[in-house]
Amino acid sequence: MSAATTDPAGVNGPAGPAPVVIHRQRFRGLRESLGRFSTRTDGLVGLGILLVFAVLAIAPALFVGPLETVVTATGGVLEPPSMAHVFGTDEMGRDMLNLTVHGARISMIIGLLATVITVAVGALVGIVAGYSGGRLDNALMRVTDFFLVLPTFVLAIILAPILLDIIGPEAELFGIRATLLVIVLVIGLTSWATTARVIRSQVLSIKERMFVDRARVIGSGSGRIMRVHILPNVVNLIIAQAVLTFAFAVFVETTLAFIGLGDPFAPSWGQVLNAAQSAGAPGLGAWWYIVPPAACVVLVVLAFTLLGNALDDILNPKSGSRR
Amino acid sequence: MSARYLVRKLLGACLTILAIVILNFFLFRMMPGSPERVLMRSPVITAEAKAAARARWGLDKPLIPDQLVAYVESTFTGDLGYSFKFRGKPVTDVLLGRLWPTVILIGLAEFFAIIFGLLLGAYAGWRRGSKLDKAGNGFGLVLYSMPYFVIGMPLIIIFAAGLGWFPTSGASTAGATFESGLAQLLDFGRHLALPLITVTLGLIGGYSILMRSSIIETRAEDYITTARAKGLTDGRVMRHHAFPNALLPMVTLIAINLGYVVGGAITAEVVFNWPGIGTLTVDALSARDYPLLQGVFLLLSVCVVLANLVADLIYGFLDPRVHA
Repeated sequence: MSAATTDPAGVNGPAGPAPVVIHRQRFRGLRESLGRFSTRTDGLVGLGILLVFAVLAIAPALFVGPLETVVTATGGVLEPPSMAHVFGTDEMGRDMLNLTVHGARISMIIGLLATVITVAVGALVGIVAGYSGGRLDNALMRVTDFFLVLPTFVLAIILAPILLDIIGPEAELFGIRATLLVIVLVIGLTSWATTARVIRSQVLSIKERMFVDRARVIGSGSGRIMRVHILPNVVNLIIAQAVLTFAFAVFVETTLAFIGLGDPFAPSWGQVLNAAQSAGAPGLGAWWYIVPPAACVVLVVLAFTLLGNALDDILNPKSGSRR
Repeated sequence: MSARYLVRKLLGACLTILAIVILNFFLFRMMPGSPERVLMRSPVITAEAKAAARARWGLDKPLIPDQLVAYVESTFTGDLGYSFKFRGKPVTDVLLGRLWPTVILIGLAEFFAIIFGLLLGAYAGWRRGSKLDKAGNGFGLVLYSMPYFVIGMPLIIIFAAGLGWFPTSGASTAGATFESGLAQLLDFGRHLALPLITVTLGLIGGYSILMRSSIIETRAEDYITTARAKGLTDGRVMRHHAFPNALLPMVTLIAINLGYVVGGAITAEVVFNWPGIGTLTVDALSARDYPLLQGVFLLLSVCVVLANLVADLIYGFLDPRVHA
């Protein structure tokens, strides 16, 4: 079940004969999961697409040079694809290939940060509610159900400008501008509820297992039990949930940026499409302005969904979508 | 369906709506800037005038419970405040004026998406593993991964800008006069076509994927084996035994989904400049028209709560096992 989460590479123990046996057992679950994963074509295709985009996101400048701005634009206005500009140019003469590749970095970073917040909040609420039970569980699940019912996307639209007004558009954190930060926060705050529900239901069955009772008997506190005994047993689930959340986060980020909540100075794919819409590209038939970023969004969301479904089938004991 | 189930669901829906209204109240109060600060800026305003203004707006009373109660009361009587962007027009009027285009667009799109999505999913799932299944499921997954505007923009490029079959935006030809009601209706239809196709395609993806897994589960049931053993043809087993039973879970899923569609389809309206709630939301957003935004949020959240309630009631009605 728990796929070697506490000591992944066996770094803590010098390998005497006894630890080797333990490690072998510990890795058996992981190896079985990997074996099952390697037969899932959809999951492998998803993983392949994501690896390509990950490379683009890590080092965009390596492939297309620094992000072009209005000042450093290299082409004419709305040029169709040519040898000089394989994907054409936008209404300010910027190279579309350059914008699309750099968009990968921005879209993926926002998606990653939003996923981390979503899954962290969801896992925390799910574990605490599931393990504590009683009134606390009841109260937390009320709040979770409320957030499940709220139309996430519409709440995000309202929260984003309010948060932006509160923290100010000039603020920065780790070099990330406020506008992007707000999108990350908004996605995180509005979409943790599903994760919380999924994790809680798993925790409910884990806390009845013998090892939790043993830990309690030898005097471990609730906090320690949740951290050391419950968390490693839901890590599988958290991983599958994180991948699915990532797809959702990229989808929401693209949509929020498209309706004008993005940052023009850090153009994600949604932001590029927003610029295309403002420039009237669809009506002008400037397909090269729309197809590259749109295709990237679809590919990344599709890849995360394929990978997430495959992982969910393998790692989630309660997954209903057995194929 | 027991009376207790009904009452519990109704009560739950009412409480959720109340919670949404209260959330709306606090969202409003979180925002920087208040009428008071605007008044402070003016040097000619006397302390008495300030106090009078505060009393008139009810700002002299404590936030909780007085202001909160007043807010909840006025919300439930249909007073959602006044729009900034539309020069002080009541938010309720602004919302009502934009409701019909959205209702027509979403309603028709749901209608077509349910028919095509369910059929596609059912046939793909019934012939699981076949070429048709692989193509249908792939098609569904790709559509499912596309935001509405990503579907809409290529449609404009191909069918409006390229072929010129349909107009690129709006709900009617600007400045046109029509000889008859029919001509006007045709004009409306031509404007409606592309947004309708966009939202329909966006919905088909989700519906076909869900229907596919539903029919795959149904196919493994014993009564399907029984039906086959009776010597019924494949098509008959599918149409009379598998399809209706696989439809059961879909009914609730579709009902729940209905509540979310309006919020989700905002970008489809924006791409085509369709004069509904979606474009209104984005206009309100760019003008930072908070009262209007809050009105939109309230309207769409209540839609979701009502859709959930309907789903629960249908489920209780269709599935006799639900008594809890």
